[in-house]
Amino acid sequence: MNELLRSYGRGLTGLFVGLTIVWLAVLVIVPQAMMLEQSLWSKERGSEISLRIDRAYTELETAKFDLAGDLAPDKKAELEDAVSRLEAEIAELEAQEQDPPKVYGLQNYTKMSGLHFNIFVKTIAYAALVTLLALVVCYPIAYAVAHLSTPRKAALLLLGLTIPYAINELLRVYAWLMILDYQGVINSFLAAIGFVSFEAKTWVPFLEYSGSVFVAMIYAYILFMVFPIYNTLETLDRNQIEAAKDLGGSIWLTHRRVVIPHAKPGIAVGCIMTFMLSAGSYAVPQIMTRGKSGDWFSQLIYRQFFESFNWNVGAAYSFTLLIACIVFIFLMMAIFKVGIRDIAK
Amino acid sequence: MHGKNVELSEAVMRFGDFTAVHRSNLEIEAGEFFSILGPSGCGKTTILRMISGFIEPSEGRILIGGEDMRGRGPNNRPTALIFQNLALFPLMTVWENVAFGLEARGVDKAARRKRAEELLALVDLAGQGGKKPTELSGGQRQRVAVARALAVEPSVLLLDEPLSALDLKLRQHMRSELREIQRKTGVTFVFITHDQGEALTMSDRVAVMNQGRVEQIGSADEIYLNPRTPFVATFVGQQNVFRGKVAGLDEGLAQVETSLGRFLGINGDGLGVGDDAMVFVRPERLGLVGRNGGAAPGNQLEAEVEGRELEGPFINMFLNAQGLPLTMHVTNSAEMPAQLAGRQKVGFRSEDALVLRAGDLADE
Ligand SMILES: Nc1ncnc2c1ncn2[C@@H]1O[C@H](COP(=O)(O)OP(=O)(O)OP(=O)(O)O)[C@@H](O)[C@H]1O
Ligand SMILES: [Mg+2]
Repeated sequence: MNELLRSYGRGLTGLFVGLTIVWLAVLVIVPQAMMLEQSLWSKERGSEISLRIDRAYTELETAKFDLAGDLAPDKKAELEDAVSRLEAEIAELEAQEQDPPKVYGLQNYTKMSGLHFNIFVKTIAYAALVTLLALVVCYPIAYAVAHLSTPRKAALLLLGLTIPYAINELLRVYAWLMILDYQGVINSFLAAIGFVSFEAKTWVPFLEYSGSVFVAMIYAYILFMVFPIYNTLETLDRNQIEAAKDLGGSIWLTHRRVVIPHAKPGIAVGCIMTFMLSAGSYAVPQIMTRGKSGDWFSQLIYRQFFESFNWNVGAAYSFTLLIACIVFIFLMMAIFKVGIRDIAK
Repeated sequence: MHGKNVELSEAVMRFGDFTAVHRSNLEIEAGEFFSILGPSGCGKTTILRMISGFIEPSEGRILIGGEDMRGRGPNNRPTALIFQNLALFPLMTVWENVAFGLEARGVDKAARRKRAEELLALVDLAGQGGKKPTELSGGQRQRVAVARALAVEPSVLLLDEPLSALDLKLRQHMRSELREIQRKTGVTFVFITHDQGEALTMSDRVAVMNQGRVEQIGSADEIYLNPRTPFVATFVGQQNVFRGKVAGLDEGLAQVETSLGRFLGINGDGLGVGDDAMVFVRPERLGLVGRNGGAAPGNQLEAEVEGRELEGPFINMFLNAQGLPLTMHVTNSAEMPAQLAGRQKVGFRSEDALVLRAGDLADE
């Protein structure tokens, strides 16, 4: 802060700080707070209220019917009283039915149905699996780019890795859809060599396997794993790898004792990014399964918001996902023994 | 220990079109402290990497203990390399660093720890095993690197300018320290440096390299007193150089016609009349004519005194002979006039001058 003041002066520093605060408030704190608030209440439109309305109407009808007959004046006044009281009650109850009062509590979180909870657990497990697979795929790639090739080759390889990311994410996923579809590239090839037949519909239903979502997701988010790892590996002194080799270290030992410890912060960042992106991914499962196989939790949230219009439950579900992600971040930091500081590097 | 340990036989190293090491032969005795001396970029590291197995020579062979090393990687050679920047593992403790080579051989942890402590004691670092390398001083890190390399019990230890990062005082201390470790272990040391002082004081023998060629191999005395090429003559120690043509020959001596007169010197290259030649005279062999009694030297010239520097036991005189700068060391004795100035007659004996075929000099 003092440094900022010194290098930019009062006016500019104020502007920086002000802008940061506005940005934090408008884009992070306010929306999240609103979501949190929404997730903490619900409006109960119970069946008992309509029952009470029905009962009140019946009483009202009876009272009106009695009023129509010959009655003593005192009796009549009493009945008229009852009618106006009932009418007021009905109006109030109907207003309540129209707009039930907010009930605050954790019900949106605790009342998650068994089915939805299953989907939640499955999504977290799958996202973790995607992260693991991406790590297994990306670590060797990042290592190869950083240490096995010449600078020219490394630049070309990185360019090659980046180009697909200039394409829209949806198109990238569609590419996999085209490959794995019932009459897609692979099945067409299988048909051509007589393995399956389109007429008999004996094609391999890749899209119905969760594996297809995995493949597309790993492809969609691979860069977010490769780059952080590549960045840390690139700072590893090549001499250290050679020293390990010179001392008789096998490839495995060299990686376990020298390369991976050095790459830890990058691995942690890559895992966190890939996990968060895949746990929260909507487009990939939506496109790949066309809603045919099990939902991802993000699809469920989407439906809560835009199909059931139950924003409160939607908000609660989003928050649950956010908490899961935060837990994952801390877990990663604990496993890799890296602090926020290392990650920020 | 005796016999050949490391041998480069007709070894050539090319990187694409660029030849980093021209056809070289080198024989290093077992148990020897052998230095490779040369300016930056002359191919010293390349030779070391060929010996350690990180690169295969484009042509020729490398033998260690008489065995051809072709096809054997660095992890399968009886060598250990100490890198120019040490390349200690910063995330491991000092003892884990030292024990890495043992870990690679599957030695169990207790034994590793014990051996690491022994090696640390050998390099005067007993009890420092639990620290991280970054917590040590430059000289201590240096010794950790030595201990780590010795842990794999190499028959050859290759050191790539290991002292260049240290300050002068520490460097001098580490020189004797390394020499001591070498004596204690009897391991062959191949030591690379671009510092002639280092090479001359530490080594049994020195190879002087220039632009990918080994120009001369010999003991410090041989290199200093009998340089074989103009490069070696000027790279090691100071020299005064006179260029000219051989005008006459006389029983192992050559007379060279220069712009400053005719000088007689030892005909080191067996030159013939008419050959382009260079006459080399060390500053300490140049003297004032007519002082100290003795017979006047055969070679004489006149020069203007331009400056002086007191070095303690001797004085460094800077002279100018018709545009050619000369350096002369004069003993700092009582009869030396304190203020030596103006035009002086200087000279040198013909047995103190070396005549070689004209060639590249080391740039000052
Ligand atoms: N892998 C390589 N590819 C291409 N050229 C190389 C390679 N390694 C070394 N060279 C070249 O070979 C020459 C000798 O390099 P080397 O590293 O052996 O020099 P050096 O004597 O160790 O120098 P220094 O004292 O600066 O360390 C240099 O010109 C260098 O550019
Ligand atoms: Mg070098």
